[in-house]
Amino acid sequence: MAEPLLALREVGHSFGGLSVLRSVTFDVPEGGIIGLIGPNGSGKTTLFNIVTGYIRPLAGTITYRGAPLVRETIQQRGLQGLVRTFQTPQVFEQMTVLENVMVGCTKLTRTTMLQDLLRTPAARGQMREIRARAEAACERFGLTALRELPAASLTAGQRRILEIARAVIGEPRLLLLDEPSSGLNVQEIDGLREWIVRLNEEGITILLVSHDMGLMTVARTVHTLYFGEIIASGDMAAIQRDPRVREVYLGV
Amino acid sequence: MNPRTLLWLVPCLIVWAVLPFVVPRNIADLLVFTGIYTVAGLGIGLLLGHCGIVNLAQATFYGLGAYASAYCTVMMGLPSIVGFLAGAAISMALAYVIGRPILRLTGYFLALGTLALSAIASALFFEWDWLTGGTLGIGGIPKLDLFGFLLDRPSRYYFFVWIVAFACMAVAHNLIDSRTGLMLRAMRDSSTAAAALSIDLQALRTKVFVVCALFGSLAGSLFAHHASFVSTQSFTVDRSISFLLIPVIGGATSIPGIVVGALFVTFLPELLSKLGDIHQILFGLALVAVVVLMPEGLVGAFAKLRTRFARKGGSHG
Repeated sequence: MAEPLLALREVGHSFGGLSVLRSVTFDVPEGGIIGLIGPNGSGKTTLFNIVTGYIRPLAGTITYRGAPLVRETIQQRGLQGLVRTFQTPQVFEQMTVLENVMVGCTKLTRTTMLQDLLRTPAARGQMREIRARAEAACERFGLTALRELPAASLTAGQRRILEIARAVIGEPRLLLLDEPSSGLNVQEIDGLREWIVRLNEEGITILLVSHDMGLMTVARTVHTLYFGEIIASGDMAAIQRDPRVREVYLGV
Repeated sequence: MNPRTLLWLVPCLIVWAVLPFVVPRNIADLLVFTGIYTVAGLGIGLLLGHCGIVNLAQATFYGLGAYASAYCTVMMGLPSIVGFLAGAAISMALAYVIGRPILRLTGYFLALGTLALSAIASALFFEWDWLTGGTLGIGGIPKLDLFGFLLDRPSRYYFFVWIVAFACMAVAHNLIDSRTGLMLRAMRDSSTAAAALSIDLQALRTKVFVVCALFGSLAGSLFAHHASFVSTQSFTVDRSISFLLIPVIGGATSIPGIVVGALFVTFLPELLSKLGDIHQILFGLALVAVVVLMPEGLVGAFAKLRTRFARKGGSHG
């Protein structure tokens, strides 16, 4: 079997005396869509924070593309293609939609401070490239009509799409989506679902955290997290039949 | 450049060019100070408006620039350009060394950290009298000589200072408009999301702090050659506070706002001082009024007013 893109082995974490993750082990195969469900407080977001470098785990190992992730900063992980979105969309409120997307593209280019201060031809060229790419991304994600608006004026659904566009323009290998359907209406969730499938077909591996069982059916494998442990794994149909999952999560 | 910009830019330039010849000498002197303060204020504006950082240490870098110019020209007899360069180099190095640790702090803690820096520097300027002359200061700093043209009158120095100020404004504008500027604004709006997009917050803040110090030092050198005398009184914490007021009053995200803020802090105390002892209270009240009534500064308030009128006009048409 091919080596997984991301592998978690016995990852554990606690805040103070409160154990949030006991021992979490699972793989994210390259090219897959992996789902993670679990009730509130089961440790999903903590796991995201650990993988993306916001928190350092107290136990266990994480391997990404065959190499262990230990001291790498959030930024370094981002440069390696690990990109996340947030449970509450984090858009740059005072910037326009286009500028938001442009920020996502800055990591693909390099300028020095001096070049930027003096607006050298190299700096100008990079900015033109960033703008062109961002305009193309806006077009693609249906944000063109909104692109001169401040991000603060967007609806919840538009913010989600903007956040995803901003992440995707940075060419992620593994995209981690934290509750992407929260605050969206049914139509918007359908749109989001299509995006997840399309991005995956383009070669982006996806790790999806959600409460939304309907959205979760896009995932090929779903892991159920309960009090910091994986209690069931399988496709969504199998998960929904699993008696333990029904008991702890669906409440039936 | 679009014709509408030209429409207001051309008259502004004409007024700017004629001004030093038609105003009395003391006003020309204040206009020179406005230019110097604009340079210093631009750095703070970049930090405040684009990084959300309150820098209360600008008088430190202003002092370093001024003392470097004074020491190099008076004590060592070197050409004035050496003073400018030495001040810039020392200020930028200090900003880097101090910026790395203190820029980890955020909000009020960072503001207090920079305030401490200003207090320490101000004490050292006083204590190290072998270098700075202490309260006696260093006098006899020569006027700048530009290829044989001596800038010995406010009306002459005015042009030099303002050309430097315009150059600094252009540089600041470049930065805001650049890739770095994009990352700065992203960091200001949401540092969590900026980090997720691989923006190195720490490095970015340090770089802008270094640029801010460069502007401060440049302003200090300009000041030294204008006043021809520097002493500790010019580089106290009070001065750091009045530098911070420049972007706060004018509008931190706007470059013309910095000029407006610089005009405010140079001219208003002078105008109010004619009213006698009460002037400091009046200046304080004016500050409070601006900060409370116009949180985005004078330029921000003006822009808001204009959109309101434009909307009214639109509804009639």
